[in-house]
Amino acid sequence: MATTLERPALKQAAKPRLRKPRNSWVAWIFVLPFLVVFVVFWAGPLLAGLGMSFTDMRSTDVRDPLAVDVVGLENYLRLFNDELMRKAAFNTLIFVVTALPLTIALGLAAAVALNSGIARLPAAFFRLGYYTPYITSIIGIAVAWRFLLDPDAGPINQVLGWVGIDGPAWLSDENTALPVIIVMTAWRSFGFDMVVLLAALQGIPKELYEAADIDGAGRWQRFRSVTVPMLRPALLFCTVYSSIGFAQFMEEPLVMTKGGPAGATTSASLAIYNQFGAGAYGYAGAAATVLFTVIVALALLQFRIGRRS
Amino acid sequence: MKRRVSTYVLLTAGLLVVIFPFAWTMLASFKPESEIRQNPPALLPADWTTSNYSGLFERMNMGTAFLNSAIIAIALVVANLLLCSMVGYAFAKLRFRFRNTLFGLVMVQMMVPAIVVMVPQFVLIAKMGLVNTFLGIVLPFVVAPLGIFMMRQFISDIPDELIQAARVDGAKEFRIFFSIVLPLCRPALATLGLITFMTSWNNFLWPAVVAQSEDMYTLPVALAIFSNAQATQYGLLIAGAVVVVAPILLLFLFLQRYFVQGIASTGLK
Amino acid sequence: MKKYAIGLLAVALAATACGRDSGGGAEEAQAVDTAKASGTVTVWAMGTEGEKLDAFAQKFEQANPGITVNVTALGWDVAHDKITAAIAGNATPDVSMIGNTWMGEMVKTGAIEATPAALVDQNAFFPGAWGTGVIEGAAYGIPWYVETRAFYYRTDLAKDAKAPATWDEVTGFVKTLKDNGAELGVEQNFRTGSWQEVAPLLYQAGGDFQADGKWTLDTPEMTQALEHWGSFFKDELAVTNQPTGAFPQTFVSGRVGAFYSGPWMITSMEQEGGDGFKDKFTVAPYPKGPAGGTSLVGGSNMVVFKDKPNRDAAWKFLTWLTDPKVQAEWYTTASALPSVEAAWQEPALTADERVQVFGEQLKDAKSAPPVPTWEQVARVMEVELEKYALGKQDAATTAKRMQEQADQIGTGA
Repeated sequence: MATTLERPALKQAAKPRLRKPRNSWVAWIFVLPFLVVFVVFWAGPLLAGLGMSFTDMRSTDVRDPLAVDVVGLENYLRLFNDELMRKAAFNTLIFVVTALPLTIALGLAAAVALNSGIARLPAAFFRLGYYTPYITSIIGIAVAWRFLLDPDAGPINQVLGWVGIDGPAWLSDENTALPVIIVMTAWRSFGFDMVVLLAALQGIPKELYEAADIDGAGRWQRFRSVTVPMLRPALLFCTVYSSIGFAQFMEEPLVMTKGGPAGATTSASLAIYNQFGAGAYGYAGAAATVLFTVIVALALLQFRIGRRS
Repeated sequence: MKRRVSTYVLLTAGLLVVIFPFAWTMLASFKPESEIRQNPPALLPADWTTSNYSGLFERMNMGTAFLNSAIIAIALVVANLLLCSMVGYAFAKLRFRFRNTLFGLVMVQMMVPAIVVMVPQFVLIAKMGLVNTFLGIVLPFVVAPLGIFMMRQFISDIPDELIQAARVDGAKEFRIFFSIVLPLCRPALATLGLITFMTSWNNFLWPAVVAQSEDMYTLPVALAIFSNAQATQYGLLIAGAVVVVAPILLLFLFLQRYFVQGIASTGLK
Repeated sequence: MKKYAIGLLAVALAATACGRDSGGGAEEAQAVDTAKASGTVTVWAMGTEGEKLDAFAQKFEQANPGITVNVTALGWDVAHDKITAAIAGNATPDVSMIGNTWMGEMVKTGAIEATPAALVDQNAFFPGAWGTGVIEGAAYGIPWYVETRAFYYRTDLAKDAKAPATWDEVTGFVKTLKDNGAELGVEQNFRTGSWQEVAPLLYQAGGDFQADGKWTLDTPEMTQALEHWGSFFKDELAVTNQPTGAFPQTFVSGRVGAFYSGPWMITSMEQEGGDGFKDKFTVAPYPKGPAGGTSLVGGSNMVVFKDKPNRDAAWKFLTWLTDPKVQAEWYTTASALPSVEAAWQEPALTADERVQVFGEQLKDAKSAPPVPTWEQVARVMEVELEKYALGKQDAATTAKRMQEQADQIGTGA
């Protein structure tokens, strides 16, 4: 490569910087696959979605999408007066701020436990077990959860009954339905975080721990001063990825409660999905645009915080 | 030693809680329909039967659906492993104009609600004449943003010295990528491959819309025929869920040793 | 490839420049020549119908050499999205089954052929069923099979009590059932699909969902219907604390004594209840309200899409499906009730008295309004009905809120 040695060797203490490859078009060849797919399959549909949010487009207009009336911000204004939409937004917020830490905590706990010198075979066994919920399709598993949560005969309420607690009708009680969905989602998702964090844990050089041991660090200290900082990229990844997924959560309430009782488990995505299903494309497009904007803002915020700390 | 025992106890207790719903599903797949729907429900089948499984194979072409699911999933895994790591490499180690803007687009794609873009995407696929083809089902997802994101993260951790040394040697960027970077990414690739496979394997809405004849149906699409507003056949659905999850479980079992290897053993250190 | 992306971009941007046409008159049907029809007809059908139609259509193929019928089964969950996408992408099959509450929406897209009057005799069908396919004065497709709702109850718990004939009698009847052990009283669905519970009551109170192209959800008749429906929740003769999916097992176990539903429940009950259960329940016509005993008609239609080379063969298949004998045979194959009145004289349908109840009820049954925004309004109604059933708002507020939101949505005309 031509432009070697452009940096003085003196600056050795600084992080070694990459030299530019000679032709930056090489980089474009590398990103080309993404660019093509994005431009062809995502950019247009995305703009179409944005565009229709300013119109009164319905499913009945799909043959002739130009023959719709522009209604300006009407869909957006309606959104803020829609009681169910407001409730859905609130539920989504609650869901993200509770399910996210819960899922990551569970994933981290499992990963740390599995990485703490468990023999190979049992470790593999546990990993598989903990990962199972993540890979199982929700349709089959929903029936099992309904059984668990059955107000009269479900194991959960029976156990509660032994200690004299009269368990609620979990899924049809407005106060418990959303918490149940949150726990169920955490149960279903933590396996993914576990795998990612486990991979990251195993990449932490043993020397760092040995150094910490020499400094006389206790277990908790080792965890805080070595493990957590080393896991930061992986944790950031889990946080961003999970929050993007959770902000769009929909499958669990769709299958378990259809968003009920009285909208208590209706999420923003589910409400949008229902509006699309009912053919209100303009209105659904507006709701989706708002959700999308919030998610983007959320992700940016997380990157900021993640970088700074 | 004591610590280790308590870890085992904790892990086992956790495992029991975690796999209970799954175990129940497995057991329920051997119950007759009336028992599954029975209220209050029971844990063990009173009357063991394999009729759900035989019903599944009698009433639909499981072999074809299985094969279709496999073709689509494998195609997507191969495409994503190659393309995502290429793109991820560019974002992690190459410098070019609009790099951050482009990466922003990757994030944008990751955040798009699928339902919003579905109809326009289908119109595109239809215009290209790809309705009811594997290509039509696969094409929008050959380079998934999650994969790019993951690969960028992993490749960022590869010391620049390795790449720089190769550049000094005069290695072309493609050779650096294929002979140095890619081999180092093995653990990440295993993870990405598994995630891609799983996502594709369980994907429902898009294949259901693009596949227009039953010989193109994937497993979830075929199984959805039994889900009926008036009379959902839970036995078939549950047995179907077990059949669907089995290959992924096997795959994970097989691939997990790559996770165990970890990055340290790949020659990075 | 890029061209299309740019085209879509243009769609998004150019939308600002365009507006709706003022709608034309009723559509003219194109004549069909079934005599020489040939070719392959692709058909989409949902759920059980989709599974069974392929084999069933073999008889048609045998009788019509030169025509092949290819049926693709699809799940109900995805059907609406899939059909809409196919219409958008101009990739529809020749023929599709359409849930009859979707007819208004699908026809409005302009992708569906009007029914040639010379080919199909509308008087052969139940009027309520035929009405599901009549949009803005023109008929589209054919009603393929129908459903309607009636009153199911446990005969063993009713003991000597006679089936209730009027709204007033239902309350006492359910009390009797409850006294005899049906602790949960009557099952009234207040979640997804709850509008189907209220629709017959609204008709029976003399009301309707719309008049002269406007929603009429806030009327004295609606309030009356809601009061009647809600009284069961208030008096704890119907409960709201059972999880989704607990019914119909609760009926089999005798905790629920009665419910309103469609004909599919007969077979489904017999299967779930096991041996001897069929003697423990029966079906009665809807108890009459102040304005009569009209029920809601549901079911599915079959439509032919426009611009299909094999449209003659497609229409020929549809006329075959509406032959009374074929309709009766289809009933024995898929338990789907005939939309053609004459088919009810066939032995397959006269055999079960309970099925006959539905046959009688169908003569006095009305469809949901076939307007494009129906699904959207139905969702809004369900949300309000749930709040009402849970005692969060009264009947008048419920009616008012449904009306407000429906007005905002409009009728899509």
